[in-house]
Amino acid sequence: MQYNQNSALQRLTALGIDDMPVIEYTPTVCKLDPDWFKKYSALRREFLASLTDSMEEIAFMNLPQDEFINLVMGRALPENTSIRFRIPLIWGGKLDIKNMFLCWTFPHSYNLDRFIIEQSDAKTVYLPNPEKKVYLTTHSGGGGDGGNASSDRLSQAAFNLMSGRGNE
Amino acid sequence: MTAQEFLSLIKSRGAKIFPACDDKDLTFANTNLQNMHAAMLAKFMQDLYKYSSGITLGSACIFGSKEIKRGIKYPLPSITEINKDMRGNKNLFGKTVFGRNDLFWFAFDTMGNCFMLDNLTLSPLRKYDDPYRAMIDCLVIGKI
Repeated sequence: MQYNQNSALQRLTALGIDDMPVIEYTPTVCKLDPDWFKKYSALRREFLASLTDSMEEIAFMNLPQDEFINLVMGRALPENTSIRFRIPLIWGGKLDIKNMFLCWTFPHSYNLDRFIIEQSDAKTVYLPNPEKKVYLTTHSGGGGDGGNASSDRLSQAAFNLMSGRGNE
Repeated sequence: MTAQEFLSLIKSRGAKIFPACDDKDLTFANTNLQNMHAAMLAKFMQDLYKYSSGITLGSACIFGSKEIKRGIKYPLPSITEINKDMRGNKNLFGKTVFGRNDLFWFAFDTMGNCFMLDNLTLSPLRKYDDPYRAMIDCLVIGKI
């Protein structure tokens, strides 16, 4: 399917990734070096170790303590996280940290795979290209303890009590 | 290699193996796959589901016969949900996707042959005679 900028963004919205920037790219199939996999494995570790500059985003991932420590120490990827290429290797993407980003496997990486697969017969494709190294949707912040949402709920409960209504 | 030997091997590599599903889930998954013209569960998948309803290792996974809840993390979709999403792709005609990692997808056909698929077009890259070899290849990439 051949998307244009608008239809690509609409499709991403339908897939629940409405804040993902895209780049237009003309894919040309390239030959990979025979040792690409070895280099790729090393690069993944290098990428993990480089995430010390993305602590703010990692904090928003709400990871358990052991997974958080393993990630920031560059030891292991947490469960349900994926490292993706911005431009796939086979389409001329470089084996470089700048060509990688981290996101949740489900639903994001899986849906990005679907988005790219849908364009497999297109001449120009739209590829996900987040601004930062760690991609989290704006919806994934969620409501935690405290913050405005709790304060609003407390105000509402107080108003209901004062006006003699239940807290339904 | 048997399903038990495979599970033992992959567990030693750090895989998370989710509890077995019951026969009802298996029948339900098979009926759904048949209705969407995907390959019905091959014998090796049915054998595996007797011991485990799904496996994850890092970013790689083998989909289960039903959705797997993972606490606060996003659930692992079932094999039927995945194949429903991917339905209509010409490269998947007569095949059923059973696993994925950051680089490849994995599927089996109606004869029980397994394939490694390119994650950009789903075109087959490699055919496997041994299904458990395909599953090992699928999972170990999740760990690197």
